[in-house]
Amino acid sequence: MAKREVTEAKMFSQRCALVSAGILLGCALTPRAGRADEPKPTPENTIHIQLAAPVPPQKFAKPPKFFISEVIDRSGNPQPMLVLRERGGVFLDRQPTQIAREAIEQSLKAADLLAPDAASADLVMQIYLFHFGLAQGSGLDFFGKVEFSVMVKNLKTEESQEVQAKGTSIANAAVRKKNIQKNVQANIEGALEDAVRNLLRGTQLKEAVTSLQKNNPSASAAAPGGEMAFIQGNGDKGKSFKSKVQER
Amino acid sequence: MRLLTAALLATLMVAPGVAAKDPEGIYKTAEAKHFTRAEGVELSPAFTDYLYAELRSELAKTKLFVQVIGEGEAVEDADAANSVVIEGAITEYKKGNRATDAILGGYGVGARSLKLDVNLTRRSNKQNLGVVKVHVKVSPRWNEDVMAKVAAHQIAHEVKKGLKEKAKG
Repeated sequence: MAKREVTEAKMFSQRCALVSAGILLGCALTPRAGRADEPKPTPENTIHIQLAAPVPPQKFAKPPKFFISEVIDRSGNPQPMLVLRERGGVFLDRQPTQIAREAIEQSLKAADLLAPDAASADLVMQIYLFHFGLAQGSGLDFFGKVEFSVMVKNLKTEESQEVQAKGTSIANAAVRKKNIQKNVQANIEGALEDAVRNLLRGTQLKEAVTSLQKNNPSASAAAPGGEMAFIQGNGDKGKSFKSKVQER
Repeated sequence: MRLLTAALLATLMVAPGVAAKDPEGIYKTAEAKHFTRAEGVELSPAFTDYLYAELRSELAKTKLFVQVIGEGEAVEDADAANSVVIEGAITEYKKGNRATDAILGGYGVGARSLKLDVNLTRRSNKQNLGVVKVHVKVSPRWNEDVMAKVAAHQIAHEVKKGLKEKAKG
């Protein structure tokens, strides 16, 4: 009788061990994404970022026409559309590169400084986006940051100059999910507006435009380029040209 | 007589509030610049960015300026005389000691310490409008960004005080 009880107890403990091993194996094999609350974009947690109003650019002595050739994401962020991971996540509805492009184009268009294509533009802009969204702050509030660098290029002279722009915004933290989303949206919009203003009203852009337009050879654009270059060449070539003319 | 008394009482209640109200928008613009660091100041690169953002936010709250512009932004010539440039340097940073703070924290021993020198200049003629020295002490348990927030608040307070005195005098 006693022997039978010992055998039953042994079997019970073996079953328990098997069940717990199964649970542990199951936990280990379950993908991490499935267990942790990895946020997914839904219409409820997606925000739309845009400028409330176009940013008026500074006044240029000779207003140029700009064209934005491309916007390149250099943030190194694997999930550029996820701006906040906590509380179910907050997502952007478009890529940050697209949002930045639209904001700058909107402001340039409002001031009649936007060219329809690269061929008709005086200066072409290539934008490198370094940061878009929230940055690490004190934790007491949301710290929005938009940072980009613009390569302004004169296609006629092939000269270019770099202009940097940075926008920041600080908004109050919130407890309710709805308010978090609202504050994050206002914060990023504020930072974007600040960055666009920093670019279009910055002294760096003014200096770049002045420098690139100064070096723009308007005479060479009017006359056929080859002959002009030949006449303005070095001494030997100039002399040989003169002698040929004299011979004629 | 009753009406007169009521009017007198109302005047007495409202008048101090009106007198204490801050003057709004004395200056057209304020340009805050990123603070430079003295040699040996070991703070993360993000600290300067966050301090700059917090300082702009705190300066806007003072209501002393119509607009707080970003670094390197152009100002209309007409507004330049009534605009201020705020630049500064982090001169000293001590990261503190958690153990000492836990034992003697009440006396400020072991606290994180940050010293900053801030220069205020008029935009048009670079006239010096004052120098502000700020010393911030926070618990070493708080992160750098909280310290930046405290420092920005203190700088904005000192700038407001200094510029208001300058405007009066």
